[in-house]
Amino acid sequence: MTDNGETRIRDLSDAEFHARYSCDRYTATVLSNRMRYIVEHMCTNLLHHAFSGILRDWYDFAATISGPKSTNYSMSTVSNSLVLFSGAMEHAVRNAVEEFGIDKLRQGDVLMVNDPYRAGNHVNDICFIRPVFHDGEIVTFVALRAHQLDMGGVVPAGFSAVKKDVYENGLVIPPMLIYRDDEPIDHGFHLIFDNARYAALLLPDMITIYQNLLLGERLMRESIERYGVEAWLGGIRYSVDVPAESMAEAIAAIPDGVYTGGDLVDADGIDDTREYEIKVTITKIGSHMELDFSGTSEQARTSINCGMFDTLTAVGIALKYMLDPTTPFNSGVYRNVDVVVPPGTLIGATPPDGAVFIYWEASQPVLLSVFRALQAAVGEDAVAGDYGSLSIHNGHGVTEDGTPWVTVAQCGGEHGPWGATKHGDADSYNAIYLANNLDPATEAIESDLPIVVLRKEYVIDSAGIGYHRGGAAALRDSMFLTPANHTSSPVHTKRSSGTGVVGGGDGRPGAVWLLPAEHYDVAERKDLVPLEDPEVYRTSTPISGLLDPETKAPDPEKGEYFWFGTQPLWRTQPRDVFRYITNGGGGWGNPLEREPERVLRDVRDEYFSIEAAARDFGVVISGDPHTDPEGLVVDEEATRRRRADLLTRQA
Amino acid sequence: MSEARSAPAPGIDVERESVTADELAELGVDLADHPGSTAADFKRYPVLSEGGWYVVVKHQPTLTTVDKRKWTLLGPVKLVSEGLHFS
Repeated sequence: MTDNGETRIRDLSDAEFHARYSCDRYTATVLSNRMRYIVEHMCTNLLHHAFSGILRDWYDFAATISGPKSTNYSMSTVSNSLVLFSGAMEHAVRNAVEEFGIDKLRQGDVLMVNDPYRAGNHVNDICFIRPVFHDGEIVTFVALRAHQLDMGGVVPAGFSAVKKDVYENGLVIPPMLIYRDDEPIDHGFHLIFDNARYAALLLPDMITIYQNLLLGERLMRESIERYGVEAWLGGIRYSVDVPAESMAEAIAAIPDGVYTGGDLVDADGIDDTREYEIKVTITKIGSHMELDFSGTSEQARTSINCGMFDTLTAVGIALKYMLDPTTPFNSGVYRNVDVVVPPGTLIGATPPDGAVFIYWEASQPVLLSVFRALQAAVGEDAVAGDYGSLSIHNGHGVTEDGTPWVTVAQCGGEHGPWGATKHGDADSYNAIYLANNLDPATEAIESDLPIVVLRKEYVIDSAGIGYHRGGAAALRDSMFLTPANHTSSPVHTKRSSGTGVVGGGDGRPGAVWLLPAEHYDVAERKDLVPLEDPEVYRTSTPISGLLDPETKAPDPEKGEYFWFGTQPLWRTQPRDVFRYITNGGGGWGNPLEREPERVLRDVRDEYFSIEAAARDFGVVISGDPHTDPEGLVVDEEATRRRRADLLTRQA
Repeated sequence: MSEARSAPAPGIDVERESVTADELAELGVDLADHPGSTAADFKRYPVLSEGGWYVVVKHQPTLTTVDKRKWTLLGPVKLVSEGLHFS
């Protein structure tokens, strides 16, 4: 029995199952899998046919299936694409359809909405929604939310932490039709293209999105024809009930109690005298959980906020990671979970002043706050923090023949390390926990844009130590070949996001610099910008991080904070280089218990230096990892003495 | 470079409203079902959950929901265009 007196799904008799889901168990499973197949098929098709880099190379979209009004638009299925979209999509569909008027919808319609306050995410993420009819009734909604390269506002492509309100932010589209009777609505397209840049890329992408909605609809119709509409609707209910029940059981399995967590964001785009704090108090009783974000800082004065639906997404994903990773994510995850979000806060921004654009910089700390709060409840199942912030880079200019170009999330700190878990060491080059993106290929960047990707590599001694180590920070150098303007939004470099767990250490915080060609000209010297040359940092323009004020080299312990917002637009000359270093990922478990041969392998692979191996892991290694990596040797006796000494101090 | 020492921007709380014994009675709540509790143990506040925004009344010591009502689609958010009359 579940705590509300219902028989568990697995314990239902065949008759009971049929009464609840209007089909047999086998059919419900087939339909549930079929729904996942449909959204994945839509996403694969969009990936293959998208024109703009943000879709083609970043996978910046998600597809979902929702039930009709009678199910309260219950979202049964989300694709394995951009996680940031997933939780908000349930609400985007419900809110758009209800505001537009469900009775006004007819077959052949496509609704669109991009308002962060109505639908979550940011204005570039237009949610396209198509009702699927059967015998004259809406039985399903299929939706595809996909990032559009530009949606107006003061910054080309929009990615900026310094936009001050909804008016600077970009075009807000309330729920409105973009197709009727399967014909495009001219004024809908004019509304967008009279406000947005890069229409030549947006238009074919939108037509492709429309075609993928049709694909999803066709596959659903085939399923309904084969299994019947009642089974289809039962399949939606079953798909949602399974994760709901599973999450309730997972919540029940941890100790009752009150758990607290939090995180800090460095600053907004106005000044660096204000940090922004996220606080969460989690009260867990039985199979229910309430997450109250009271005490969280008021909304930022620039576009680093997120909306309430984004906070809800972060909560749901955090709970899936920590408590119930084995069933699919959908709206059922929240059945026993209530989220209390103070309006007018960093994570519950309200219009017109609470601008929402780089929303993951607020919602990802929500996820990390939940991780930190629940680590006491889950013990060894705790998950260490990741690099936490995309430190997103956005640049634009024109080529010699006057063609405008824009780079979005290709040359910043967008990909980096995860934190370790009980299962093993963390990967070092991923999207943040709240995303599931591809990494744009260097070849694609360099062929499309006047950019040379000089470096893309790991940073030694940046990972959190532990029995399982965190992922290493990623370093990226990108050289710009034409004069350009850039927005750089590293808002989480003051302290580590990669918190260690179960005795593991924190990852090292990252930093960002502009390295002018006048001081180090890569083309002239025919060499990469060095990593350790003090002159490189001394002559740099720091953008963000804890740095020595004299040398401008990283100094996470004693360095002063450099603020990204000193320039709303960073202007560069040809061959100037941006250097981004992400935060490091957190470690899991006691580093002194890590097997010496695993530490040796880390030194060989330059995740850690010989010095760090001895200092932090108590493993004494001799040799030269750079010139003779396979000749490294563990000094077993020295290691035994060193570890004994460190264990005494640890005790 | 930071000149001033920074501090977190002020926090905001969600208010949990008190509920009277009469209101609980109207909701059909029998305090006898919550041994040792008084009306002061019940609070009303908005939550986001499966299905959207709700205003709930919960028994705080056990988080038992004794009343749950659908709220507006956007909960506490007031759109810039809200309140305008277009026709």
